[in-house]
Amino acid sequence: DTQWNVSLWGKRRAFTEHVEKLAELVSAKTNGEFTLNISYGGLSKNKENLDGISFGAFEMAQFCAGYHPDKNPSITVLELPFMGVSTLEQEIAVSKAVYNHPAVVKDLARWNAKLLMPSPLPQYNIAGVGDAPQSLADFKGLRIRATGGIGEALTIAGAVPTSMSATEVRQALDSGVINAASFAPHAHMSFGTVESADWWTTNLNPGTVNCPVVVNVDSLADLKPAHRDALLGSVDEALNHYVDYYNNQTMAAWGPKLDEKGIERVTLTEAELKTFKDKAAGPVHQAWIDSMNKKKLPAQELYDLVLDTLK
Amino acid sequence: MIEFMMNAEPLQIGVIVSVVMLVFVLLGVRVAFATAGAGFIGLVWIFSAKMGFERGFMVAVKMAGTVPHSKATTLSLSLIPTFILIGYLAYHAGLTKALFEAAKRWVGWLPGGLGVATVFSTAGFAAVSGASVATSAVFARIAIPEMLKLGYDKRFAAGVVAAGGTLASLIPPSAILVIYAIIVEQDVGTLLMAGFIPGIVSALIYAGLVVFLAVWKKDLGPPVKGFTWKQRLEVLPGSFPIFFVVFIIMICIYGGVGTPTEAGALGALVILAMALYKGMRWPSLKGALMESAKLTVMIFTIIWGVLIYVRFLGFADLPNAFSDWIAGIDQNPFITLLFILMAYAVLGMFMDAIGMLLLTLPVVFPAVIALNGGEMVTAADSAFGVSAAGCAIWFGIIVVKMAELCLITPPIGLNCFVVAGVRKDISVQDVFRGATPFFVADVITIAVLIMFPSIVLWLPSLI
Amino acid sequence: MSGSATVLEDSSTLSKADRWLFKLESLFTLFGGITILFLVALAVMNILGRWLFNIPVSGYVDWVEQAMAIFAFVGIAYCQRLGGHIRMDILLSVMKGRLLWIAEWVSVLFMLLITSVLIYGSYLHFYRAFSNGDSSMDIGLPIWPAKLIVPVALTFLAIRLVFQLWAYSVAIIRASESPVAVPLIEDAATQAAREAESLDGGAS
Ligand code: NA
Ligand code: NA
Repeated sequence: DTQWNVSLWGKRRAFTEHVEKLAELVSAKTNGEFTLNISYGGLSKNKENLDGISFGAFEMAQFCAGYHPDKNPSITVLELPFMGVSTLEQEIAVSKAVYNHPAVVKDLARWNAKLLMPSPLPQYNIAGVGDAPQSLADFKGLRIRATGGIGEALTIAGAVPTSMSATEVRQALDSGVINAASFAPHAHMSFGTVESADWWTTNLNPGTVNCPVVVNVDSLADLKPAHRDALLGSVDEALNHYVDYYNNQTMAAWGPKLDEKGIERVTLTEAELKTFKDKAAGPVHQAWIDSMNKKKLPAQELYDLVLDTLK
Repeated sequence: MIEFMMNAEPLQIGVIVSVVMLVFVLLGVRVAFATAGAGFIGLVWIFSAKMGFERGFMVAVKMAGTVPHSKATTLSLSLIPTFILIGYLAYHAGLTKALFEAAKRWVGWLPGGLGVATVFSTAGFAAVSGASVATSAVFARIAIPEMLKLGYDKRFAAGVVAAGGTLASLIPPSAILVIYAIIVEQDVGTLLMAGFIPGIVSALIYAGLVVFLAVWKKDLGPPVKGFTWKQRLEVLPGSFPIFFVVFIIMICIYGGVGTPTEAGALGALVILAMALYKGMRWPSLKGALMESAKLTVMIFTIIWGVLIYVRFLGFADLPNAFSDWIAGIDQNPFITLLFILMAYAVLGMFMDAIGMLLLTLPVVFPAVIALNGGEMVTAADSAFGVSAAGCAIWFGIIVVKMAELCLITPPIGLNCFVVAGVRKDISVQDVFRGATPFFVADVITIAVLIMFPSIVLWLPSLI
Repeated sequence: MSGSATVLEDSSTLSKADRWLFKLESLFTLFGGITILFLVALAVMNILGRWLFNIPVSGYVDWVEQAMAIFAFVGIAYCQRLGGHIRMDILLSVMKGRLLWIAEWVSVLFMLLITSVLIYGSYLHFYRAFSNGDSSMDIGLPIWPAKLIVPVALTFLAIRLVFQLWAYSVAIIRASESPVAVPLIEDAATQAAREAESLDGGAS
């Protein structure tokens, strides 16, 4: 019998449903000969999941690219703001395209890791307190908890990115330390921003976070062919389950939650969004390309790959 | 033997290594290294059973090697050195003496008046001090001489100071509540807030006990009467700084200026300014910094040491197994909770509070959550009448109160040692005897907190 | 539980070396203390910056996490020199003379073994960050310097432990009543008095 340890963190939630489903499918397809033993936080801190994979402490793990950009520079292309991703299906398509690019495979191979599947998250729209911004100009001076590329883009809009841990966000919002926070809907709900927010942007779509599930290269190679097929052959079904769960459970709860809390939906005009993107996307994208070129990565190629996949 | 080792189930390994760890601790190995060592041995065993000794050993080395940096740089732990520093600086700023004087003039007229004043001034100092032992040490010098001068029973005088010091860990800021929050992954701000009312309740029960004792035993000590309102008012400015700092911290956290981390820092800066104003100079500032740094490194070492052991437990899956077992016991959950608390009382007789919580919570906390009905349970469906999130906070306050109780119980009661250490004329036995009534008061407080969880949960629910 | 203890001195090479090392350890610890003060200043700057100019410290969290690596580790050998790492000494406190020094020697050897393992493991943790790359979440600070602090501080601890092995060996051979260069177990009262004294800021 083969048993794999899987290092996740937090609790079982929408964000981990594909791994749970994968475990279920693999066990069923191999008559219980190959099992995935999922641990929430017991095996590693999330920022060290790649380290654990690299020396084989566990065989599968999830992490987010933005936690440690220099550990995985190549996939940070998926966290660039305003790339134009609007559905989870698109998010999966671009992630898969990027994950299969030779430069990316090589980048992750430094950690003895192979990218198995993404954990697609919707756009990190912004929820905040106080007067709802009516136009882009109203973002000027807002203190927003946002990280990475999203933070950079918001800086260009005149906002002030403020750093704190996710668990501090709720209290910071209540006490006025920040005016708004950028999260995916499930996180707005689990970190409680939705409890005090007055408004939420529906279509700012500033970008998202990319959180792949990886496997240890050697462990994958050591699997019996039947087991390997069971694992790799279950990825698409697990992702379908994930998307279904996110859209039909999480997003189905989101709209009513906004109504229940009386949260105003802020929808910016197309013209205004275009102005913002022209102003913010260009410089941030160019800065990314320049810095990745310095790391000897085919930056332009990866960047174009994302845009081409979306066409 | 080798064959057994190679075929052992992770759960078996978990239990055996845990016993080995306890033996190390009993033999007097420094707790941080006893736990780190046992954890490492456990990791080697688990990985060797899976992939052979040579590879398994290296994986264990690498796994253990990631823990110290990874765990020590957890953001919410950054509160701990700040809280420790505040305590040292407050003493140098002369805040404690002024506080006691004010309490004496305002509540000294009650039966056992100086005892009541001691309880309330330790509670006041608790609002800037993060550590119980330091609070008792300070008040042993300030309050005991005055009580003895007025003819208070010396055991009682020592006991009330030893017990009063324990309030510092409930009333925020509190280093131990931060540590609890880290281990069980709860919001630090919420836990700090949750400790406030139980701390006040605890102080009131102490004060009530003092009054009762004074009425019951006439020779305990006289009230101090005859202060005019003028005298009462004129002493207030001296104790004002402490309220100012508390006010700043409160405003900072709840009035929209900063996070708990920042509030602690602001409080520390204000007290530093006061201490400098009161004449603190580089040699004593350096001393305060060295002491804070030493205590900080001690706490952090034990945290990462224990977490290496906890990492091993994660691979052995022991916490889940234990909580399944606890949740499966067919008896009233309150009885099970009572047994858990009694186990803490026994363990606490021999152990330091921080070490005890770090060692036990990784296994006990999931068990208590399971006992209450699981991670999703609502207050209505739960065993203890608290939701899953509420249970994490409620149990935290109870278990910290338990840990505080252990500071005044023999044979190892740090607060009593400290008081006896400051006062050469009072023996450790005297202090333990004097603290005995407060032990009873603490048991009552814990019973009240268990029966009325809203005492703990009401304040955090407002946010 | 022991907090701080007495360490005796004399004119032997061992004691001289011990005091020299202690000076170095004290310096590191002071650096840790100053880092705590720096952390306080940084948090206050963050508040003031935010409210006065709407400019919080950029990457505040990242800087705090870097600073934590300093004060969490640099004082570790100093703390061991003074017997500051807590333990249960119920069993040890009833031992006397040679038996006690043998027990201490074994306990220190065990510490040295686990410390050596951790030096290697934390060095590899540093080396992965150094060679493969690792950076902080908000402003992309490199993490390897902070990770390097761990094996370095643990190496100083290992040196301190070797000193203590040496000192206990001397004590075992001579069946000494009061060996130099090691923290001595005190009765509870002396220990508590020391703890109270430390509030006076009298250290060094
Ligand atoms: Na306190
Ligand atoms: Na005790």
